[in-house]
Amino acid sequence: MNSVILADAAGGVFSKLWEDIATLWRDSSAQYLQGARDTILLAVVATAVGCLIGLMCGILQTLKYGKGDFFLKKAVIWIVKAVIRVYVEVFRGTPMILQAVFIYFGLPYLTNNALRFDVITAAYVVVSINTGAYMAETVRGGILSIDQGQTEGAMAIGMNHFQTMVKVILPQTLRNIIPQIGNNLIINIKDTSVMFIIGYAELFAAHKAYVGATYLYFPSALVTMLIYLIMTVVCSLLLRLWEHLMDGPENFNLATTDSLAHTSGMTNFPSGRRRSAGR
Amino acid sequence: MNDVIIEVKHLSKSFGSNTVLRDIDFTVCRGDVISIIGASGSGKSTLLRCMNLLETPSAGEILYHGENILSRSVKAPEYRSHVGMVFQSFNLFNNMTVIKNCTVGQRTVLHKNAAEAKANAMKYLEHVGMAPFVNAKPRQLSGGQKQRVAIARALAMDPEILLFDEPTSALDPEMVGEVLSVMKSLTESGMTMIVVTHEMAFAKEVSTRVIYMNDGVICEEGTPAEVFDDPQKEETKAFLSRFRNASAE
Repeated sequence: MNSVILADAAGGVFSKLWEDIATLWRDSSAQYLQGARDTILLAVVATAVGCLIGLMCGILQTLKYGKGDFFLKKAVIWIVKAVIRVYVEVFRGTPMILQAVFIYFGLPYLTNNALRFDVITAAYVVVSINTGAYMAETVRGGILSIDQGQTEGAMAIGMNHFQTMVKVILPQTLRNIIPQIGNNLIINIKDTSVMFIIGYAELFAAHKAYVGATYLYFPSALVTMLIYLIMTVVCSLLLRLWEHLMDGPENFNLATTDSLAHTSGMTNFPSGRRRSAGR
Repeated sequence: MNDVIIEVKHLSKSFGSNTVLRDIDFTVCRGDVISIIGASGSGKSTLLRCMNLLETPSAGEILYHGENILSRSVKAPEYRSHVGMVFQSFNLFNNMTVIKNCTVGQRTVLHKNAAEAKANAMKYLEHVGMAPFVNAKPRQLSGGQKQRVAIARALAMDPEILLFDEPTSALDPEMVGEVLSVMKSLTESGMTMIVVTHEMAFAKEVSTRVIYMNDGVICEEGTPAEVFDDPQKEETKAFLSRFRNASAE
């Protein structure tokens, strides 16, 4: 019967796949795991540095000048903003793979070898400033989403622009942009594979090396995919945990008397309205 | 006793071609409780916001102890730390607990140490009846409670004068009373206050002076008895009668 033959064939395929994967893991697990480690290190560090760049650009973009300000102050603010715009447009608008080529090959070429990075530094620099360009826009959006009243409340008690940002606006912005930071981290885990162009050995490079030696494309691809998936899922879960920690406890320790309110003793008020009321 | 804190002189404010305030003049002395009343859009909130430099006046002067705060040499944040403000929408810092809301300004602006700031904050939180809620976040409080914390936050800066921008307008009716009773107790302690309000009974009871604004100008100014019981201008009479009719319904 056809179905029996098919089932046999399928069984054969799976046992072959299983064998190939077992061989792969026996011979080369060290390379894959090392690649995974370098991938996650690059992605986490570059995302963190990118966030810092983004936060800095975000704050600088909120600087305002009034009619009465001195010319120099206006000029400096205008220039800073223009530089940030150019940075964001260039690094968001070109492929990271070409940015890597530019930093690793282009800088030595243009400076007659005066300025050159080794592979690892170049990879970290490229992914960081690329992420920074995206985060600059994310942070700008995050700051815009915070109610103007928060700024006014801070200004009204005498805080200056910097204090308002650091104490009031950015903590709330950070909470709101964690999902987007997660997006960037996960994109970076996957997209750092383009760093093979400058010879940075991460997980995808391990896959390519194994395939080059054995021609076993599919088993290696499957293993590589699974490792990527495990890394991204773990990162997702950790970011969720971070969000949860930032929200703080749902309830608060409360004495039960509020002598002035009509409805004294409002314990746990208003439960179940946590996120909507929080913003 | 009659020492002047703030003098507003020929103050004007326009947004584009829309003139909101025209040639406003008035003086605030220590211990004054000035209620500013008037229809929506008459410029009373804008006037208050100009006094705290949340809006930049288009023309005129605001003298704080004789010094024009609109001149470049005066730092706005430094001035604002002496002038408390309570907003219609509370504007508590959502990322901080009640106690942190009341200490952050003392710590960052006045550079007090943690213990001192906390003790001062607790004094005022007890005054407004919010001491039991020190660990709550703003989202866990009712509107009236939030506004009382906002008042404590402003008081904790030990300001010379407090500005209230329609402090009860965003509250459910049953919460208005708790906020007004806190404000009343402040007037009894001699706090200098300017209150933009629609609570006529409150304005009549606690103010030392009432300013009626209409269409961007101060239309009438006087003691509560003068303005409420014996208004001179037609506009004031019309406004008050509209208000009485609305309240009677």
